[in-house]
Amino acid sequence: MAPPARDMAAHAGSGKLALQRCALCGRMQYPPREVCSTCLADQLEWHVSEAEDGEVLASTVLHHSHEPAFRNALPLCIGLVQFDCGVTAVCFLADGCIPRTRVRITARADPEGRTVLTASPAL
Amino acid sequence: MMDYGDVVVCTPVTVPYERRSEKTAAWWLGSALRQLLAASGIDKRQVDGLCLSSFTLAPDGPAPFVQYVGVSPRFLEFLPTGGACGIMALRRAARAVQCGDADVVACIAGDTNGTDSFRELVVQFSSFSRDHVWPYGAGGPNASFALLTEHAMGRTGATREDFGKLCVAQRQWAQRNELALLRGELTLQAYLAARPVASPLHLFDCVMPCAGADGFLVMHRAKAASLGLACVRILATIERHNGFADDPIQWRGGWAMDADALWRQAAIGPDSMDVVQTYDDYPVISMLQFEDLGFCAKGDGADFIRRNEFGPGGNLPHNTGGGQLSGGQAGAAGGFLGLVEAIRQLNGQAEGRQVAGARHALVSGFGMINYDRGLCTAAAVLAV
Repeated sequence: MAPPARDMAAHAGSGKLALQRCALCGRMQYPPREVCSTCLADQLEWHVSEAEDGEVLASTVLHHSHEPAFRNALPLCIGLVQFDCGVTAVCFLADGCIPRTRVRITARADPEGRTVLTASPAL
Repeated sequence: MMDYGDVVVCTPVTVPYERRSEKTAAWWLGSALRQLLAASGIDKRQVDGLCLSSFTLAPDGPAPFVQYVGVSPRFLEFLPTGGACGIMALRRAARAVQCGDADVVACIAGDTNGTDSFRELVVQFSSFSRDHVWPYGAGGPNASFALLTEHAMGRTGATREDFGKLCVAQRQWAQRNELALLRGELTLQAYLAARPVASPLHLFDCVMPCAGADGFLVMHRAKAASLGLACVRILATIERHNGFADDPIQWRGGWAMDADALWRQAAIGPDSMDVVQTYDDYPVISMLQFEDLGFCAKGDGADFIRRNEFGPGGNLPHNTGGGQLSGGQAGAAGGFLGLVEAIRQLNGQAEGRQVAGARHALVSGFGMINYDRGLCTAAAVLAV
């Protein structure tokens, strides 16, 4: 894992969704990086929350996986979600998250210690 | 932009693809170079420029490779940019020849495909993909293109039948090309009935990874003439990376930023193309290229597919060797496939699939699905 992904996953391990914000230009970015993709500053802060709001842009149901660990869990529903704060992220989608659905996105760590984001229909 | 003067492209070669290979990438690339020398009659010592593309050459890079095959170029490029690498190699090689940095540039791309090498390639493709896409079911490029396809279907009204029409036409071309790996009959019914992979993508929407290599030579026209080689001219080229980075989902490619410049430099329009070779790891990307390169208006991609015929005898011969969808995707060689096919068509070397009187060709490339989108786009207009 790249260092910024590791830091994000540490937050995810305690159930927090951490997104990067540039201390200089204020832009949010995802995936996390070691420099700001807008102004190239390296002063990046973590914006930590319980959840973020957003909208599903596209979804797919996976019937095939390259990783044996996932094969028992197929089919899996994933999507591209646009967060209200500006970033877009690949997320697992809970039932009912079709395109244009308003969603709430939460984070956890998977058994490998990687961040996984899940979008569920907004209440 | 400056024109390409008397620089020409010649001797398209393909090391016949194989579904699986225990050979290394160096064998595939070295064999492409051997075929280039045999096809051109050029001595290896005269090759003073090399453009190389591969994903599976590691731990070797371009410098170890030149020692491996015993060449001493004074111009060396390594372009690990996937589907855009062919046109990028063409552009760099052409300028090197035009400016005198090299006289004969060999452009080669190739990869091997062992039993687990595609998975290994995908899992380590990039840091973003490894850390922020792979944990979501490890669907690889199928998953990313499924999202782009679903979005494009909503945007344009394209249906599975529309994408199937492109796939079936390419299979008809492949049946005329003994270099294509997938040559069995494909009907629209069989396309529609195929097993789902990542909705809305089904089996025949997904390119098949394989091993293989392709190559071509770039030199001055006088040199090609002295060797008796058929050759083609470069009318115009474009290249763009990370275009439209602020689009939340990729509904247009970087071609749309540069298409006007391409046709302006070519001094000819899309309507004059006799053959069109788009990058087709998934059919939705061909539709995007039709739109973004000006073959139709943005949003009219589905209608464009419905009102044109793309197979043998059709009004718009498209991916005339079968494309990657029927030919196979040999890693980086996928970025060369359309280019070598265009050169063959313009030189009258396309044998059983030759488009009569082909004089102008559009080739385009699309590379590197990094996180949520393809990053590299390129296109070229070629002429005899």
